[in-house]
Amino acid sequence: MVVIAVTGKGGTGKTVVSALLIHFLSRNHNLLAVDADPDSNLPEALGVKPRKTLGEIREVFQVSRDEMGTMNKEQWLEGKIYAEAITEADNFDLLVMGRPEGEGCYCFANSLLRGVLRKLMRHYDVIIIDTEAGLEHFSRGTISGADYIIVVTDMSKKGLSTAKRIKELSSELKLNFKQIFLVGNRIMNGMGEDIIKEFADEEGIELLDVLPYDEEIVKLDIKGEPIVLMDENSDYAERVKKIATRLVGDGNGKNEH
Amino acid sequence: MERKRIEIPADVKKVESVGEEAEFPFDISPMYEGERIRKNEMYVELGGTEQPGFELVLALPEEEVEDMKVTIVGPDLEEMEEGKAYPYAMIYYVAGSQVETDLEPVIERRNHDFQNYLEGYMHLNQRYDIWIRIGKGAIKKGLKSLTQIAKATMMLFKNELPFIEKIEAVYITEPTMVEKTLNEVAMPIYDERDARVEALHDEDVDEFYSCTLCQSFAPTNVCIVSPDRPSLCGAISWFDGRAAARVDPEGPNRAVPKGELIDEIGGEYTGVDEFAKEESGGEYERVKLHSFFEYPHTSCGCFEVIGFYMPEVDGIGWVHRGYAEPAPNGLPFSTMAGQTGGGKQIAGFLGIGISYFRSKKFIQADGGWYRTVWMPKDLKERVSKYIPDDVRDKIATEEDAKTIDELKEFLKKVNHPVVTGVVRPVDGKKITEGWVEEEEEEEVVEEAVEEAAPAPAMQPAQVQPMQPMQMQLPLQLPQLQLPAPQQAGGGVKLIIKDAKIYVDKIVIKKPEEKKKGGK
Ligand SMILES: Nc1ncnc2c1ncn2[C@@H]1O[C@H](COP(=O)(O)OP(=O)(O)OP(=O)(O)O)[C@@H](O)[C@H]1O
Ligand code: SF4
Ligand SMILES: [Mg+2]
Repeated sequence: MVVIAVTGKGGTGKTVVSALLIHFLSRNHNLLAVDADPDSNLPEALGVKPRKTLGEIREVFQVSRDEMGTMNKEQWLEGKIYAEAITEADNFDLLVMGRPEGEGCYCFANSLLRGVLRKLMRHYDVIIIDTEAGLEHFSRGTISGADYIIVVTDMSKKGLSTAKRIKELSSELKLNFKQIFLVGNRIMNGMGEDIIKEFADEEGIELLDVLPYDEEIVKLDIKGEPIVLMDENSDYAERVKKIATRLVGDGNGKNEH
Repeated sequence: MERKRIEIPADVKKVESVGEEAEFPFDISPMYEGERIRKNEMYVELGGTEQPGFELVLALPEEEVEDMKVTIVGPDLEEMEEGKAYPYAMIYYVAGSQVETDLEPVIERRNHDFQNYLEGYMHLNQRYDIWIRIGKGAIKKGLKSLTQIAKATMMLFKNELPFIEKIEAVYITEPTMVEKTLNEVAMPIYDERDARVEALHDEDVDEFYSCTLCQSFAPTNVCIVSPDRPSLCGAISWFDGRAAARVDPEGPNRAVPKGELIDEIGGEYTGVDEFAKEESGGEYERVKLHSFFEYPHTSCGCFEVIGFYMPEVDGIGWVHRGYAEPAPNGLPFSTMAGQTGGGKQIAGFLGIGISYFRSKKFIQADGGWYRTVWMPKDLKERVSKYIPDDVRDKIATEEDAKTIDELKEFLKKVNHPVVTGVVRPVDGKKITEGWVEEEEEEEVVEEAVEEAAPAPAMQPAQVQPMQPMQMQLPLQLPQLQLPAPQQAGGGVKLIIKDAKIYVDKIVIKKPEEKKKGGK
C-alpha cells in the first residue's frame, strides 16, 4: 500500500494533479481516491458522481446511536460506509470525507471511523488523498498517515510559504511519511521555474517537476468538464504520468526507485 | 422464546454434510478483514439491500446439536446466477457446558469477524441486516459451495471460542424459508435480547468499562460505563464498552472489575475508585455513578446534557446542547459546559448522556426524577416515557418557567416534591427538608459570608456547595432583585419586597473582602 497525500495552498492545482494521478495509476493499480478537502471538487475533476460523504454518515450515526441497543456500532458504521459512502468508479473507488463535524462529541464516532478506515485502506495498492493545507484529517487521525506528501505550489509567495508550513506541520504531526515532494504548477515562465527550484533547494524538498500553465486545463474548466478527459499525450499529462511512475512504479513491478 | 432447531419442510431442497473439511480453496487470515468486493468483481450477493438476510446463533442442549454438520437449504453457489442477489440466512446451533442463551449475541457477533477472515468473501452488518458478497476470484480458485464457507466459519468458531463444544450450521437461500424464519424465529429473539438489555443492571455484571478517549483534551477524565450508566457523550453503552474491550483490551475502553460494593445507592465500587484514581493521575479518588452531589462522575466536556443544581429551589435542572436560551439559573448550556468540562469533579453540575435518563438508577442517590425541577421541552419530550407518572407534569419546561422566580411559582403551584421534601424512591429516605417558608410583608436580608461556611444544609454530607455557589452567585443576584450597593465599602444589602421567600441556603461571597458583614 502506498499512500500519497496531495496538498498545498488553495487553488494551486491539488485537485488537477490528484485527479490525473488517480486517472493514470488506477489503470494498473487497485486504487482508492480520497477527497479530504471540505470544499470537495475531486469527484467533478474525475467525472464521478459521489455518494454520501463520510461526514454525512457520521451525522446519521450520531442521531441513531441511541436506538442501536446491543448492535455493534463499529459494524454499523462499517456497513454504512461500504454501502453508502464508497463510490465505485470503473477503475477505482472514491471516498469523500465531507464537511467537518457539527457540535457535540465525536470522540467515539471518530475513533470507530479510524478503525474502519484503517481496515478498509490496507486493501488498496495505492491511495491518493486530495487534502487542504491544514491536513485536518491527518491531525485528527481519521487518516493515520501517508508515505508521500506532494505539495503543489504556484509561483506565488503565498504558495511557497504554505508549502513551508506544510513541511513543518507534517513533521509535527508525525505522519511517518517517507518523503515530502514539491510540484510546481501553472508555471508560465522561466522565472517562475527558477523561483520554485530555488525554494526547493533552500528548503531541502525534492522537486518532482514544474508543470506548465496549460490551455487545455483552462478549456476543460470553462466547459465544466472533468480534467481526466484531457489529451493524455499532452506534455502536461506525460509529466504527471512520470510523477506517478516515480512514486508508485508502473504497475508491472517496475519502480524507478 | 424457546430455542429449538429450525424445521425444514420435506419438499425443500437441502444438502447435508458432516465432518471437518481437510482443505479450503481460499486463504483464511485476519489480513482479509475489511476487504471490499467491488460490484464488477462480485460473483453473487447474499442479503444486502435487495434481498432479506440474517444471522442467528441459537444455544441448544448438547444432544440436539450435531457437531460440524452443515445443511444448505435452497440453491447453493453453483446453482446461482452470476451478478444476482439472493436471500441468505446463517443459523448456528451451539452447545457446550458454558454455553447459555446470554452468550448467543456474543457468539453471533463473531460471525462477522470470522467470515471476514475468508478470502474473497465480504461480510457486512449484523442481525437482520447482513450483506455478503462473494468474489469471482474465490469461485475461480475453487469455491463451489456454501458448505465450504460454513465449515471454515465453524472451524474458526471452535478454535477461537473453545467453550463451544459443538456447532452446527444451517444456511438457507430458499426465499420463503428465509422470510419465514426471519419473522417467526429471528426477530422475536432479537427483540427479546433488546428487552434483556433494558433489564440489565449494574448488579448483574462483574465488570464495567472505562473510556479514556477524551483524555486528549481532558487529561484527568475517566468515563465509567455501566449497564445503568451509559457514557455522558451518549455514544457508548456497556455493550459497546465490552465489544471494544474484547477487540483491544489495552485500548481506550478497558474492563474495570467492579470490586466490592461500597455504596449501593450512590453506585460506588472499590474497583471503580481504584481505576479512577489511577487513570486520573490521582486527581480524584472516588466516584459514585448515580450521585449528583457526592463524588460525581467527571465530565470531559462531551456531555449531551448538563445538570445544574439550583439552591433557590433545592432542585436540579437539566439542559441539553441544542437548547441555546439561558436555563432558569441564567446560564446557557455553553457557559455551564465551559465550567464543568475538563475532567474534574464539580459538585453542583453533572454532565450526562441523554440515554442516562432511561436508567432506573438515574441519579438515584439524590432523588432522581423527584429532584428534577426543570428541563427544556424538547428534551422532556424525548425522555418523557421514562419519567414516573406522578412527577412528569411537575417538571417545568421553558413554557412554564424561564427564571428562578417563575420556577418557584410553578413548583409551588404543582406541589413538586422539592417543595415539601424529596423522598428518594430507592430506599424511601427523605433526603431534603422542603422549602422553609417565611411569609412576611417585607424583609431585609443582609448577609455576607466570607468563606466556605456552608449555610445549614439539607444534606450536609452530600452537598459541597462552594463551587456552584460561587459560580451561580453573579447570576442569582439579579433574581433576588438586588439593587446596586448603596453604601460604600459595606457588605451587600438585599431588599426584597412583597416576597414569599423560600430559601434553602445563601452563600454570598464578595470578591475583595475588606470588611465583613454589617453596615
Ligand atoms: N496547470 C494549469 N494550467 C492552467 N490552469 C490550471 C492549471 N492547474 C490548475 N488550473 C486551474 O486552476 C484552478 C484551481 O485548480 P485546482 O482546483 O486543481 O486547485 P486546488 O488546489 O485543488 O484548489 P482548491 O483549494 O480550491 O481545492 C482550476 O480552475 C484549474 O482548472
Ligand atoms: S465522553 Fe464518551 S468518548 Fe469521551 S471519554 Fe467519555 S465515554 Fe469516551
Ligand atoms: Mg481542490
